[in-house]
Amino acid sequence: MAQMEAPAGGGGKHKGGVRSKKMSTRVDLTPMVDLAFLLISFFMLTTTLNKPKAMELNMPKKTNIEEEKQDVGECQVMNVLLDTLDQVWYYDGLKVAGLQKTTFAGDGGIRKEILRKLKAVPTECPPGKKWVDANKNKVKDEGEVVMGPRDAIVLIKMLKGARYKNMVDILDEMDITGCKVYAIQDPDPIEIEAVQNGGVVKEFARETVTQ
Amino acid sequence: MPKVKIPRKSTIVDMTAMCDVSFLLLTFFILTAKFKPQSIVAVDVPTARTTRPVDNAITITVNKEGKAFISVKEKSTRYAMLEKLVEFSGDHYPGIKDLTQTQKEFFSLSDTWGTPIGQTKQVTSLNGLEFKKYQEEQMAGIPYDSTSNELGDWVMAARYATGGDIKIAIKGDKDSDVEYVKQVIKRLTEKDIHRFVLITSLAAGGDAAEAAPAEGGEPK
Repeated sequence: MAQMEAPAGGGGKHKGGVRSKKMSTRVDLTPMVDLAFLLISFFMLTTTLNKPKAMELNMPKKTNIEEEKQDVGECQVMNVLLDTLDQVWYYDGLKVAGLQKTTFAGDGGIRKEILRKLKAVPTECPPGKKWVDANKNKVKDEGEVVMGPRDAIVLIKMLKGARYKNMVDILDEMDITGCKVYAIQDPDPIEIEAVQNGGVVKEFARETVTQ
Repeated sequence: MPKVKIPRKSTIVDMTAMCDVSFLLLTFFILTAKFKPQSIVAVDVPTARTTRPVDNAITITVNKEGKAFISVKEKSTRYAMLEKLVEFSGDHYPGIKDLTQTQKEFFSLSDTWGTPIGQTKQVTSLNGLEFKKYQEEQMAGIPYDSTSNELGDWVMAARYATGGDIKIAIKGDKDSDVEYVKQVIKRLTEKDIHRFVLITSLAAGGDAAEAAPAEGGEPK
């Protein structure tokens, strides 16, 4: 307990007596407020920034209605294959023989090829033969992609043993290049063989695009 | 004329009230902030540049070995999820039909679940310490092969429990075989689920350089 200092002896009559100074009870709270706001901003920022981030992926619905299926011209198709060594292989349409190797490196890699295809398709390719706008009168689901008659379509095929990271990378490229129509498919045996042979296709010639 | 006297006012403002308010806010934020639950399954998510924040989702974690786990945030949802699973798939999995209240409670306490449905009864009977050990050492993952699509049943149960419009997030390890994720997606499309989100983290400079070692980094 704080003790009161009792005046000594005869009651402080002499002049030079110890006089306790009157201190103000006010404390400057400004630094405390500063600190509090600093902590508030810290908590606000860390709590909101901790939300998980994600990319969207829409898989096609299986349909048996003939009208909903779309005819894709060979010219519109670009095939992208991902192998086990983080490499990307690509070829246009059905020409497996034209298989080429590239990487995920920024502007020089697969991105350049996708952009080239996206640019070339609307001017050079005839629209798909049987193209009907099946989605015209339908209420669309959120995020559903409607393919136009002259859109490029990228078929993404991942070989067994490819890293999941590469799948995310190629989907990322789709978003970066603005390629709206793409599909994830299983690779054909001939494509697997071609990639394993370093891009060399033996005697087969593929005849149809398997959808 | 008499001089107009402007009274001199002190420039010192009383900070007490402001201090009160700021500490009130601080307490609010500290109390409402939730701690990130320690993830039982270690997964290194890939990075991507195009990302959107995800609010509420059923998360399917696929680890490096291809084991799948399901995580739902809210405890009440987890409880409802188990109830729905019993309701809709109880005939397929007779083992879960006679779970007791305590076992269901035990289930809903666990943030992440990765047990084949057949073992649910056995695992929910463990005590806390045993369960922790089980989680660390022998959690088998939820089967998702073409013959027993248990993962699909879990996700459907979770969707029923949440009203259906919840997102399905897939959290895969960046170095894992893409085949596992592909299988998971395939199993879920069989259940008529077509929209997914893939959990990624925002790409930083270091990781982009890893993606293209020969070219020496990522041009911005």
